[in-house]
Amino acid sequence: MLLSIVIFLPLLGVVAIALLRGIGASAVKGIAMAVALLTFLISLGLYTGFDATTAEMQFQESHAWISGLGTRYDIGIDGISLWLVLLTTFLTPVCILAAWNSVEKGLSGFMMSLLALETGMLGVFCATDLFLFFVFWESMLIPMYFLIGIWGGERRIYATVKFVLYTMAGSALMLVGILYLYFQNDNSFALLPLYEKAGTFTHANLLFLAFFIAFAIKVPLFPFHTWLPDAHVEAPTVGSVILAGVLLKMGTYGIVRFCLPLFPDAAATYTPLIVTLAVIGIIYGALVAMVQPDLKKLVAYSSVSHLGFVVLGLFTRHHAGIQGGVLQMINHGLSTGALFLLVGMIYERRHSRMIVDFGGVAKSMPIFATIFMITTLSSIGLPGLNGFVGEFMILLGSFHGGAFSKVYVVLAATGVILAAVYMLWMFQRVMFGTPNKINAALPDLNTRELVVLFPVLLFIVWIGVYPKPFLSRMEKSVNVVVTKVQQETAPAMGHTKIKEVPRYARVDINKEAETK
Amino acid sequence: MIVPLISLILLCPLAAFAFFGLMSLARRSVPRQDYLSTAAMLFALVCSLLLLQQVVPHPEPHTVEWISIGKISFSMGFYLDSVTAIMLIVVTLVSSLVHIFSMGYMHGDPRYPRFFAFLSLFSFSMLFLVVSDNLLGIYIGWELVGLCSYLLIGFWFEKDSAANACKKAFLTTRVGDIGMFIGMMMLFTKFSTLALYGEDGIFALAANLSTGDMVWLSIAGVLIFCGAVGKSAQVPLHTWLPDAMEGPTPVSALIHAATMVAAGVYLTARMFPILTETSSLIIAYIGGITALVAATIAIVRVDIKRVLAYSTVSQLGYMMLGIGVGSYVAGLFHLTTHAFFKALLFLGSGSVIHAFHAMHAHSHDEHDAHGHAHADSDANEHTHEDGDSELVHAHGSDIPPDQDMRNMGGLRHKMPITFATMLIATLSISGVPFLFSGFWSKDAILGGVLERAMEWSSVHHYVLFGMALFAAGITAFYMFRLIFMTFFGEPRNQEMHDMAHESPKVMTVPLIVLAVLSFPVVNVLWFNDAYVTPPKQPHIHAPAHAGVFNDTKGTFSLFGVSEAVAAEEEGAHDTHADEGHHGHSPAHTIAMVLSIIVAGLGILLSWLFYHRRTLSAESVATTFRPLYHLFWRKYYFDEFYNGVLVALTVWKARLFAQFDGTVVDGIVNGIGRVTRDILAAFTGFFDNRVVDGLVNRVAQVTWAMGGRIRRIQTGAIQTYLLIVLAGIVVLILVFRAL
Repeated sequence: MLLSIVIFLPLLGVVAIALLRGIGASAVKGIAMAVALLTFLISLGLYTGFDATTAEMQFQESHAWISGLGTRYDIGIDGISLWLVLLTTFLTPVCILAAWNSVEKGLSGFMMSLLALETGMLGVFCATDLFLFFVFWESMLIPMYFLIGIWGGERRIYATVKFVLYTMAGSALMLVGILYLYFQNDNSFALLPLYEKAGTFTHANLLFLAFFIAFAIKVPLFPFHTWLPDAHVEAPTVGSVILAGVLLKMGTYGIVRFCLPLFPDAAATYTPLIVTLAVIGIIYGALVAMVQPDLKKLVAYSSVSHLGFVVLGLFTRHHAGIQGGVLQMINHGLSTGALFLLVGMIYERRHSRMIVDFGGVAKSMPIFATIFMITTLSSIGLPGLNGFVGEFMILLGSFHGGAFSKVYVVLAATGVILAAVYMLWMFQRVMFGTPNKINAALPDLNTRELVVLFPVLLFIVWIGVYPKPFLSRMEKSVNVVVTKVQQETAPAMGHTKIKEVPRYARVDINKEAETK
Repeated sequence: MIVPLISLILLCPLAAFAFFGLMSLARRSVPRQDYLSTAAMLFALVCSLLLLQQVVPHPEPHTVEWISIGKISFSMGFYLDSVTAIMLIVVTLVSSLVHIFSMGYMHGDPRYPRFFAFLSLFSFSMLFLVVSDNLLGIYIGWELVGLCSYLLIGFWFEKDSAANACKKAFLTTRVGDIGMFIGMMMLFTKFSTLALYGEDGIFALAANLSTGDMVWLSIAGVLIFCGAVGKSAQVPLHTWLPDAMEGPTPVSALIHAATMVAAGVYLTARMFPILTETSSLIIAYIGGITALVAATIAIVRVDIKRVLAYSTVSQLGYMMLGIGVGSYVAGLFHLTTHAFFKALLFLGSGSVIHAFHAMHAHSHDEHDAHGHAHADSDANEHTHEDGDSELVHAHGSDIPPDQDMRNMGGLRHKMPITFATMLIATLSISGVPFLFSGFWSKDAILGGVLERAMEWSSVHHYVLFGMALFAAGITAFYMFRLIFMTFFGEPRNQEMHDMAHESPKVMTVPLIVLAVLSFPVVNVLWFNDAYVTPPKQPHIHAPAHAGVFNDTKGTFSLFGVSEAVAAEEEGAHDTHADEGHHGHSPAHTIAMVLSIIVAGLGILLSWLFYHRRTLSAESVATTFRPLYHLFWRKYYFDEFYNGVLVALTVWKARLFAQFDGTVVDGIVNGIGRVTRDILAAFTGFFDNRVVDGLVNRVAQVTWAMGGRIRRIQTGAIQTYLLIVLAGIVVLILVFRAL
């Protein structure tokens, strides 16, 4: 019941705002904030009640839904979705507070979209029925469509149509895959029984591709990424935050929830191709980001680069890589979310996102500059902050796991240098130097903005210093995925067999046996 | 006692940073933050001194688990051996003195509290690096000190040169760090751990590797050394360090002379047991080349801080050379002596700069801080005020006038304490015999190189010895050039000279303390065999033809030879070189004599050129014009990096950006347009023929939109949905058929 409450409480907020038409703007904001905060608080119950010792789905609920179709309302979370659910419930109130004064027209519509979006996103992460998953997946597009299309920038229509069409092109393929699986699953959409049949599907390669392309567009993986910069640039600040923070994670979540455990052989077959695309994305995204004149576009392309890392980690098919990948999803949500928030804050002051318009901002806005610095450092993977842990584990899994050539790892590692290049260069151009008259007069962050940023910073530091609580809860669930991928692929892979027990295996190895 | 003491040492600066950092974010100012930060550092120093007694011969690391992934787990922990203990003292001592000095030097800077917060963060990171028992911990500390270096170089970020320099420092060192990271991955893949010590640590496991693994181990060793090349500013990644002089001078003393840049040497020394013959030789060559290249560049610099910066690069090369030839103790010994005398030289130069700054403070009343003479990016203002435009700008350089040695001269009467203490440091770094610490440590390295050359009859090592010896002579030359130009002769800029004055006590006391430390006081620790035991190098063996000189060992000695010889007789052959600092072989005698000669020559030439002026530097420069240009242009490293590497990357980036906009996005838009046009045609046809009236209108609207990609309207989505639906129906039929 708890999980359903978390999912649908925001929707209740939408209904409330819709019914209480004619109330003032502050009341609308108050209701939205209260609902989002309450959702977050309740979702903390998922954290405290979560049993880290099992890989089973938890907080499961199952109700008859459309029995004629063979679909049920089946929900549940494991150690992977738990974090994405929490990330969503955490970012939504942050976003509402961030948008407090920036929405001029249609405030109630804006807040309704935001809350409806939250329900859609939470549903995607919790659904354990393929049809239900698809319904949430598609329904989430509608509020996002409004958010960009109504409250966006100049070219918002182009951007939002591109975003929606591109995603739907992918979803169409996925729907085909879902239907085909349905027929191989005794006319049922239930996900958990499918896991038992993993590796036995006919046309598994095609099925894998149908799912993977849908997710690759969402991630977005090179070369499916061009909708992202447009969507980010045109979206309002909060739209960008949600887009980068949560929506992109649905692609990578889909990979780890469906592609890897359901079609392990196909995943192994396509690993070289996908890893190549991921590494291209890492370097390409970084290089393109380097020369962007627009701050938002720069951050958008940096997302392409960072999510290349996540995909690389997932396809290591190794404990370290996949855990790192999942952790990096959260990290990217926090740090890129914070970057978009910061860009939004300075846009509200300066009404420009062009890097050339800035310079010397660190002098007029020292606190802003400090927080921007911390976020930048988190984004470029400085130890002590969250990004490092994820990148370290991904590279470790890539190198150690042996699922693909070490050349990829070396190339990906150069992406780490490039990330520092474009972020620090941007930071220098915006923050350093002597400010001109306009920039010298910019007021520093106010208390509301500090309250928006502080919780995000807290997690950025927490994960960086002590990631254990995060990793330990996802460990069992990731193990299941790894066991599946490795078991199914070991005979087929032959030469690229995963080196599970290296030569000096007695060293630093946990005594507990791996879950079979 | 060890764990609580180390924890305290780490916590003091960390707490200072965290507290003051949060306070400044909350816009609260804390009274006397500088005193509190300094007190925290001094307390850490006391703890470090207490730790000196706690060192045991074969320490075990103290660890806690940090992350565990499946069967892999990573721990964080402390490891305290004699080298750690000595490093802790060096770091906390220099840091404390720099804290005190900064109270005077940075006084009145608008970001004064932030400066101290950064210093605290740096101290914590450096100490964390030093005490870590594993590569991951070292790497974390390593990156954090890099961050602090970035923040402090860019402390006066209003100045473009500072903003460029801090970025350059961070990026250049990161290039090396990636090598180090990949090296760590290689070690981890082999040994499944990043812990160094203990029976399951890398060193114990690596000792058992067979000769077949030597190539692999050499590559891993060199990759890890890449990190040190970046951080310790070795050729070819040395170019960031001279630029880092844009930071406040106390920062140069602490980070870019005494501690952080020495971290590379420390890391290489820590990696001592896994070095192979090949990787050692590469390290030795990089060190030797760096020592020589940087020394030659230093000869022609006119900015007092740049001279010292290149001198630092050169001396770091010495230390690397020492470790590369197996003289573990000598390398680390030079690290400690250098930390003190170079910190002294930098603080001394800071004192000189400060003396000139007072004038700026006068002439720029609106600037409440001397730091702002720096921050002022307006060069014209300087020119106008200082009246030295011809001198400074004739060379087309942008050297701040208060750092330009061509504006100095005759300062010894004005600043007696600064002069005396800097002279002591100069005598030490130049290798003036017996009385100064630098002589002993430099000689230990030179002796170590020559000893290996003679023992192994190795041409490589003879070449390296030649380079090191030559660099030693140049060092003496350019250091005395600095002293003569700054403190002797007639004042070259009377206006500036008149304003100069001795610095306040808060700045001179640290100078005096460091001057005392430039006498051979630390030798007591390093020359104590019972205290410092060099680790074994199981993968380095003397070549078969070596050993000619073995029988003559122990003929020369200065310190405690008897135990050394006794230990040596039972010790393995390959440990001989490690104990080279005792000077008990003919190699050390020869090296000592030669080094005294070249130092004397260097000082003599410097005196003739820059004091007596019987020789003219200008005419020599004209005679050897190409060489002079090579040195003045710093071997064209920056030109190469900016003109080739940076330009290529930016060009590639622009190319990709264009590709992304036209090709990748073009395909997407193209597909979108084609699909929509076909779809529009199809629906149009369908509607016209099958449905009439109202539906017809929709189709017309759809038609009208063709070709205008920028202005798609929502109608397109409906048509799109239609085709999706049609597709699904078709596919379901297909699947049924399957």
